[in-house]
Amino acid sequence: MITVTINGKQIKLEKPVSILEAAKMTGIKIPTLCHHKSLEAYGGCRLCLVEIEKMPRLQASCTQYVTDGMVVWTETGRVVEARKAMLEFLLINHALDCPYCDKAGECDLQDLVMKYGPAAGRFTEGKRKHPESYDDPIIVRNMERCISCTRCVRMCSKVQGASAISMVNRTSKTFVEPFSGGRYNCEYCGNCINVCPVGAIMSRLHKHTYRPWFIEKTVDTVCSFCGVGCSVTAQIRGNSIVRIIPESEKGLNRGLLCNRGRFGYDYISNSGRLKSPMIRKNGSLQETTWSEAFMYIAQKIKEIKEKNGGAAIAGVASGRCTNEDNYVFQKFMRLVVGSNNIDSIAGFAYAPARKFFEKIFGQGVTANPIQGISRSDGIFVIGGDPTAINPVLGLQIRAASQKDIPVATVGYAPGLKGFAANRLIPKPSTEAALLAALLTEMLKRKPLPAEKTPFEEIIGKIQPVSLNEAESACGIASGEISACVDSLSGMTNPALVIGRDIIQRSEGQANLLLLAALAQALNGRIYLSSELPNEQGLIDMGCLPDMLPGGRPVAVDSFRKRYGEFFNAEVPSAQGLSLMEMVEGAHSGNIKALYVMGENIAFNIPDNKFVKDALSRLELLVVQDIFTTETTRFAHVVLPAASWAEREGSYTNLEGRMQHLKKAIDSVAGLEDWKIIAEVSKVLGVDMNYRDSRDILAEIAKVSPLHKGVTYEDMDSGECMWPYKGEPLRHDLNIVGIDMPDMKALLKKPEKDKVYIGVDKVLFHSASLSRNSFALNSIYSEPHAKIGKNLAAKLSVASGDHISISTGAGAIELAAVIDSDMPDNIVLVPNNFEGRGAFRVMGWKMNAAFKAPALDGMEAVLKKLERVSAEVSE
Amino acid sequence: MEKYLLRNIENPNSADINEYVKAGGYKALAKAMDMKPADIIEQVKKSGLRGRGGAGFPTGMKWAFAAADPKMPKYLLCNADEGEPGTFKDRPLLEKNPHLLIEGMIISGHALRAKYGYIYLRGEYPQAKDILEAAIKQAYEKKFLGDNILGRGVKFDLCVHQGAGAYICGEETALIESLEGRRGQPRIKPPFPVNEGFLAKPTVVNNVETFSNVPYVLEIGPEEYSKIGSSDCPGPKLFSVSGHVKKPGVYELPMGTTLRDIIYTHCGGVTGDKKLKAVIPGGISTPVLPADKLDCPMDFVNMPKHGSMLGSGAVMVFDETVDLPKVCLRAIKFFEHESCGKCTPCREGIGWMRSILGRICGGTGNAGDIDLLLEVSKNVMGKTFCPLGDGAATVVQNFIKNFRNEFEAHINNKVRAER
Ligand SMILES: Cc1cc2nc3c(=O)[nH]c(=O)nc-3n(C[C@H](O)[C@H](O)[C@H](O)COP(=O)(O)O)c2cc1C
Ligand code: SF4
Ligand code: SF4
Ligand code: SF4
Ligand code: SF4
Ligand code: FES
Repeated sequence: MITVTINGKQIKLEKPVSILEAAKMTGIKIPTLCHHKSLEAYGGCRLCLVEIEKMPRLQASCTQYVTDGMVVWTETGRVVEARKAMLEFLLINHALDCPYCDKAGECDLQDLVMKYGPAAGRFTEGKRKHPESYDDPIIVRNMERCISCTRCVRMCSKVQGASAISMVNRTSKTFVEPFSGGRYNCEYCGNCINVCPVGAIMSRLHKHTYRPWFIEKTVDTVCSFCGVGCSVTAQIRGNSIVRIIPESEKGLNRGLLCNRGRFGYDYISNSGRLKSPMIRKNGSLQETTWSEAFMYIAQKIKEIKEKNGGAAIAGVASGRCTNEDNYVFQKFMRLVVGSNNIDSIAGFAYAPARKFFEKIFGQGVTANPIQGISRSDGIFVIGGDPTAINPVLGLQIRAASQKDIPVATVGYAPGLKGFAANRLIPKPSTEAALLAALLTEMLKRKPLPAEKTPFEEIIGKIQPVSLNEAESACGIASGEISACVDSLSGMTNPALVIGRDIIQRSEGQANLLLLAALAQALNGRIYLSSELPNEQGLIDMGCLPDMLPGGRPVAVDSFRKRYGEFFNAEVPSAQGLSLMEMVEGAHSGNIKALYVMGENIAFNIPDNKFVKDALSRLELLVVQDIFTTETTRFAHVVLPAASWAEREGSYTNLEGRMQHLKKAIDSVAGLEDWKIIAEVSKVLGVDMNYRDSRDILAEIAKVSPLHKGVTYEDMDSGECMWPYKGEPLRHDLNIVGIDMPDMKALLKKPEKDKVYIGVDKVLFHSASLSRNSFALNSIYSEPHAKIGKNLAAKLSVASGDHISISTGAGAIELAAVIDSDMPDNIVLVPNNFEGRGAFRVMGWKMNAAFKAPALDGMEAVLKKLERVSAEVSE
Repeated sequence: MEKYLLRNIENPNSADINEYVKAGGYKALAKAMDMKPADIIEQVKKSGLRGRGGAGFPTGMKWAFAAADPKMPKYLLCNADEGEPGTFKDRPLLEKNPHLLIEGMIISGHALRAKYGYIYLRGEYPQAKDILEAAIKQAYEKKFLGDNILGRGVKFDLCVHQGAGAYICGEETALIESLEGRRGQPRIKPPFPVNEGFLAKPTVVNNVETFSNVPYVLEIGPEEYSKIGSSDCPGPKLFSVSGHVKKPGVYELPMGTTLRDIIYTHCGGVTGDKKLKAVIPGGISTPVLPADKLDCPMDFVNMPKHGSMLGSGAVMVFDETVDLPKVCLRAIKFFEHESCGKCTPCREGIGWMRSILGRICGGTGNAGDIDLLLEVSKNVMGKTFCPLGDGAATVVQNFIKNFRNEFEAHINNKVRAER
């Protein structure tokens, strides 16, 4: 026990903390500048100096730790003088252009000088000159204002792990500069901007657009981009969001954001937003009234249902819509339309993976807190780069690595290069061989118990794969594989972060089984990457062909009956179609009507041409969206929806945390998705009677056993975690329906000399929504094809040269970017840009187990184009 | 006194291993290889050897701290960044007697069970780099370095790392940061290098001259060694004497030799037999002394009693003709240039002091400038992150304390000139 006295107040501490922290605990505030709670101590600004009895010198309270019996004074004459002196020093080379500086009003230096500083400085010589830098599209640097606190540099290197910037020069000529020189070319998370105490680095996008005191209202809500679900604060003036900042006190992101969350929200004010309902008349979409649109849809649905039955109608839900939207959508499809044909893009990878793991380990097995990643004792990453898919989750992995926690990555995960001690990059589609070898070796070191659980029985039957077999299949030296096993076997409760690339495959189920077995052998916790903010939620809300709200199977009579009885209606018993089956159905004519809520299926499903063909055969295509998309172009009715900022609701993130999405601004034209559906339902004779999203949540809280009694207030507490206050589904230990992987087939080598095309998950974009963000387009405006150095050499292609990529499905032309780190026989293309997305040229095979498209890396032919273009860099 | 550190340096081939061995070199190493590491540390402790880098920390105690830390591996770093203005005492060791340093480091490495040593060499010593590297190569060839030193199964590898020209990298934690490939800035202490130094492992940083004393301790034994010079900080000491003396240079003298002896006996007195005005006794960071303070024994214990410090033992002598405010300005310019920029008072305060001094010396000073200068130096003093900033404040304060009239003269002359 340590006893310290600060300003006469005694406190007892279990373990030593800094004087600054101890003072904070007693409610004493010591002014600081270089200190930041999410960064390690630095001790540079010397503002926090305090007097300690028996020590002749003043001490920096942020770096000095308390010791037993220490007596500290924080406001003595000496301390006050010193503080004043430090502020006087800081102003020597500080621009003092507060009237022009955007930071004024929320500037730590300004506030401190007002409070503690001298009235006037005594320095009379000229200040240093350093012209403001506009070399970057996102970040403006004004180094005349920099106080060299290095908070930005520590943020970038130690927390963001990007190490993009550094202090340069010495003495008062010290300033901050990106390693790349002018343009930052960094991850653009903006976390450096967020921690800068002054106006030295600021967002160019927000320059001179507002002053802190213009902010009329702030709304704490959730980011709209990915499955992490960072807490953000929207600052509002009039009816527009002037800025998004992370909530610093609450939220799993603890004050961090990624580029999408911080800057990408500007799509909501894009002038291209849909403003009016439209109906196709004489071949073209024409503006109409809401009521006419509702009548039209209802009429059509009625006709088709009468003629072809409810099963001829299908609905596509969205991971961008709220739980409330998705809940209402499935209710509409099941009880009003009479069809279980409900699915979404989540059905391609996230949902099948989750279902698979839940079948083995029980419901909620993937509901693990993201913060736990950096506290685990090992991390295994496969199937995608979490630092691009779920950036703030990715930071947890980097943080762990910086604490010397071993990280192993399988596959090309560029954002974890330098963080992973074991980095295994198998040849395309050979991960299963590698996983099987890892499992085989692990089981040698940690054999299965004599008394086996049913799953362990299954693991015992998986055919072993030797290191050599794996080496010849996946091209990774057996020594490297066994080094990875060495590292894995030292872990007692690692985090397994699994991405879509390993799931959305013909051998997807084999991969999942091997991963589940590995998770069992390692005692690991599973995290599923999720590209959309509410994939987990839409599943929980029952937007699956075979699941009702709360994850209750449609096939179980009692669940179906109970749900139906609640509304005096009947839930159809036949299992519905998956999204890919719906598309096939539309193509073959079995599906006559498709109702799409907030999804761009003509772009986000592989083989765009086939999908468009299918859509063009429909009798009715209804699309609710906020923008014109590839899909709305085929629609019979287009309905403008309210954006993420314009509605209330909830999202459930990949950890199963429910979070409260709050309405920040009023919608200009669109309606909440649930409202549109409820209106259509009303015309069809079923009045859902919701006044607002609260009414919907209240209903969810009654009908979904998992969400019993859940409220927005629970979510606002920040800890509305799975399984809430509800009842998870009982786990059936007898695991049935798991096919043993055919190892012989999985050990097949990919054909040499062939080049396969894969999807590049770009950090700066999010499906097709982000193309409407000015900010994200300024960072990443053109799609590039990424290739490895050997492939580039073979094609004599340099970065920036244009290449054509053709497959059986079509061809695209893109500028090439060479990444020396990439495997040889693969080309990666993002799927974000109109007309040039990877899915334009990527085909698929139906994965029978998941009823989802398998992307097995399609063979592609690359050719250099004789077209000179500007240098492309990334 | 018989020379030890600089013995043999008149020999034009003194840097050659054969010459060094001929003169009795590497005998201490052979002795050390037969000793238990803990016994070597014990002997160094007993000898009373104190670090020669400036702070005079007891070397044996530093080693014992590092040895007591269970973390492995341990690292041994030689501070050869010699950057303190006026200091050039490590240079003859590096260039003329590199094997003494290498032998000292191998013995120290054995004492600490360290397997890796680095010599962090001042960037502006390119000849020393070549000489050291050639010497290290020879030592490997003779199996004094490598995996199996003298066939005793002891391993020690040594290499040279060249600094990039920052004075602050002589500060041991900044040195470590720099060696790790980062910007040279001091680290927060604790943890001290002996517990968490290079690559977060226990690390001993010693000055070139310190290591060069280690073979001597073993050769003559701690008892004999402790009899040389001052009793509480014994041993031979190198003094680099510059300025207005007849015979400037590096002198090896017993610790505790008085300033007067150094200047008048060994260096032949003031050039042109002019009157002596001031002496900076231990490198630019140590307080300047007026001519009446020459009888202090030059050692770590006695100098503070006379208002200064031994520092690096770099004696700078100024005769009656010297304009001391200009010396002060030059010194402050150095500190300004070398301030690493980490902490506010040093980064901004020194530049401010420089500009006030500039006005004073440039003849545009104002009446209140000396007090303002003192005020600024007071605001720097004791508030900086590392001793560099304090050093600058010390310089200003002591120049003004001892020679205020000269500063006033500058200011008043201007007044007269304007009149
Ligand atoms: C600003 C500054 C510069 C220093 N420069 C040197 C130097 O050039 N050489 C040196 O040996 N020690 C230098 N030191 C002292 C080192 O920090 C450290 O105390 C010394 O290397 C320890 O070695 P020793 O115990 O053998 O003296 C410097 C210290 C400070 C604060
Ligand atoms: S925006 Fe992010 S990645 Fe870029 S410099 Fe700032 S902290 Fe580093
Ligand atoms: S730019 Fe801002 S955060 Fe970075 S060092 Fe300067 S003042 Fe500190
Ligand atoms: S990590 Fe995901 S939730 Fe967080 S800010 Fe980025 S896109 Fe938004
Ligand atoms: S006193 Fe501060 S600015 Fe000066 S060298 Fe030391 S740490 Fe750097
Ligand atoms: S806050 Fe303690 S030195 Fe800056």
